[in-house]
Amino acid sequence: MTWLRTPPEARPDAQAAESPGQDATAARDGQDPAAEGQRNAAAAAATSRAAGRSLGAMGWLRWGWRQLTSMRTALILLFLLAAGSVPGSLLPQVGTNPSSVSQYYSSHPLLARILGDLGLFNVFGAPWFAAIYILLFTSLVGCVLPRTLRLVGSARQPPPRAPGNLARLPFAVSYATPLAPEAALDSAAKTLSAKRFRLRTGPGWVSAEKGYLREVGNLLFHMALLGLLVSIGLGGLFGYKADRLLVNGTSFANTVTALDEFHPGRLVGPADLQPFTVALDHFSASYVTSGVLAGQPSSFVAAIRYSASPGDPMHSYSLTVNHPLVVDGVRVFLIGHGYAPEFRVTDGTGHVVFDGAVPFVPVETAGLVSEGAIKVPDADPQGLGFVGVFLPSAIDVGGRLESYFPAPQNPMVSLVSYAGNLGMNSGPSQSVYSLDTAGLHELPVSPRPLAIGQSIKLPDALGTLTYTGYQQWVSLAITYDPGQTAALWSGIAVLAGLLLSFMVRRRRVFVRASTDGAGNTIVDLGGLTRSDAAGGFEEEFAGLAAEISGLQQGRTEASPLVDPDLEVPDRTGPEPDTQGSGPPAPEQPDSPDTEQSDSPDPEQSAGE
Amino acid sequence: MFRLPHFASRVAGAAGPSPRRAAAALVAAAVVLGAAACGAGATAQDTAVGNGSSFVTGSYGTTVFQSGARPKAPDVVGPTLSGSKFRLSTDRGSVVVMNFWGSWCTPCREEAPALGALSRYFSAAGVRFIGVDIRDDPASAEAFMATFRIGYPSLNDPNDLVALDFSGTVPPAGIPTTLVIDRSGRIAARIVGQASYSGLKALITQVEAEHG
Repeated sequence: MTWLRTPPEARPDAQAAESPGQDATAARDGQDPAAEGQRNAAAAAATSRAAGRSLGAMGWLRWGWRQLTSMRTALILLFLLAAGSVPGSLLPQVGTNPSSVSQYYSSHPLLARILGDLGLFNVFGAPWFAAIYILLFTSLVGCVLPRTLRLVGSARQPPPRAPGNLARLPFAVSYATPLAPEAALDSAAKTLSAKRFRLRTGPGWVSAEKGYLREVGNLLFHMALLGLLVSIGLGGLFGYKADRLLVNGTSFANTVTALDEFHPGRLVGPADLQPFTVALDHFSASYVTSGVLAGQPSSFVAAIRYSASPGDPMHSYSLTVNHPLVVDGVRVFLIGHGYAPEFRVTDGTGHVVFDGAVPFVPVETAGLVSEGAIKVPDADPQGLGFVGVFLPSAIDVGGRLESYFPAPQNPMVSLVSYAGNLGMNSGPSQSVYSLDTAGLHELPVSPRPLAIGQSIKLPDALGTLTYTGYQQWVSLAITYDPGQTAALWSGIAVLAGLLLSFMVRRRRVFVRASTDGAGNTIVDLGGLTRSDAAGGFEEEFAGLAAEISGLQQGRTEASPLVDPDLEVPDRTGPEPDTQGSGPPAPEQPDSPDTEQSDSPDPEQSAGE
Repeated sequence: MFRLPHFASRVAGAAGPSPRRAAAALVAAAVVLGAAACGAGATAQDTAVGNGSSFVTGSYGTTVFQSGARPKAPDVVGPTLSGSKFRLSTDRGSVVVMNFWGSWCTPCREEAPALGALSRYFSAAGVRFIGVDIRDDPASAEAFMATFRIGYPSLNDPNDLVALDFSGTVPPAGIPTTLVIDRSGRIAARIVGQASYSGLKALITQVEAEHG
């Protein structure tokens, strides 16, 4: 490669390459001198215009839109969004914890009223919070959409004209040929065209460009980003999430009243829920029974039946972890399990006032010790309440009850009994898993644990509680996200587009042919790649140069066995010496882009 | 500040941010936005709320449907807690008040005295009351009805089939929900959340005064 005049290390465009420390946000935000300069110029123009006459409604609108869609605004909004969510985690929220909110109101009445007026007890539903994310969404869409349109333009753009002095390009070579200049150009054009370069010709020059796939990648990336934003938006508007705990042998329907938690998207109402039904026939959990992993779960299987809508036939399904049931576009995940001991409570008058399974919540995983509460507000003469633990495999360890295994090998309950007012006839809703003991008094009952079939006889003829058995329960997460599939494909397309734009380089090759004083035809070849990392272009250019020059000389010398790589061009022409001509001028790397106005470089125009 | 515009545009040309860099920032922004949007979508709600108490309480308030725009109530059929069979269409010609409740639900217990009193007040006028007991065991439900002296029957609906019948029309949007159904079997009003004596009385009086 002796004819490569400028070594890649000395490429002048390396100086112009962006410094790696400069981050994208700073660049986009105009912190680099370039964008700032442009902005200053724009501001100066705006000021001079404003001095002459007012901006006008359209002008202000355009100005506002430009401000909104700037990366600076997007970042500020992003920061506001993060800052706005902080009170949502510091203060109790109406959506997740209404009783704490009412407690806050009673303990700090004035402060609570102010905070409530500011929407800080329902941050994610507050108008100011909605304003932030709607503006952010608009800002991002408004930023991405015009870029997309510009990229379409740049992908269709022809190569720029060949610059005057090809020797100043980072890759340059020149050779003499006996062909006439037109024939030399023609042959070079054919070679480049065969290599799928896009061509543009002019008097005495050919310019060629390749790597438009990079623009396709860019375009794909931007369109996929829009798709991602829209599909996330769709999910937020029309999707919902819900939870439901389901005891063995029972069923539920996907209606609001049957759900434990319901988090609808903004445009979802109770009538929009898909009317499916799920019945739990049998849940089985298997555990490792020996070795170091003893007690670890090995499998969870919930045998369920479901129907897509009322009147439809029931189908069987085996629901396991990470294998959701998909019904009518809604996915039902198995996310948890536990025990629901069964009790029968007879009150002082002899009436059965409670008879059913009560889900207890696991409080540790090794032995699945579970806590819960039994509430019997309508017992006569006094309301009754019980709190306690369920132990699947109960064992007495020095007077303390523990559970040695998560499977029910010795299922026992241990309860504390209360009587009085359960506080369920007024006030905020209570958790079903705990007892509000404010209006209750503890009954002097021995805390002896109960085996199945055993009873607690309450003092003062208040009644009897019998532990009749247990059931297992599963907790189900119900999610509906109409934008999910689209978001997945958009995400894949975003990555694909990004990879394409990273890996494909746009590179240009220019050819000029002229006749020197002695009547010889001198062909100049110049090469330029617009990417920071030129990796590979050096070889590609050398190969192209050898092919172009070799073909033409091969034809003239009628030597079909010539290896273009070995054919060193005949350097009879005057060799321009760039190394000796002083330091490269700053505009050198951009010399092919002297006609920026009619053919803007895609990387520059799209990068603002 | 006194840069020549020409110089500025040159620098912009040479060192302008590449689309990739801006794009990377956009991806970051989109990801954060995505997370935020999901978070907002999941928790932003003033319609019905999960509240950590394992059932969904409603806060819709009262919806009144004008006589031309009343959704038709489904023909609810099912066993009552006492074991007899109920069919809504047999009450066609009467105003029906349907209340979804559970003995475990605090606002249901709070509104129960009003419902019991109204059922007695309107019994002479032929207004029928029917309860729908949700997610409850029959023993607790019977005890509840004894406590609050509820004289009207309730459907036993452990599988939410009655609520499901209403899906697509005016489903109960929380517990409790009270529906007022007019003489022609159309839903005239819905109260989500605790019904007040005076509010429900006014609604029933209004629907009852219509000629069926």
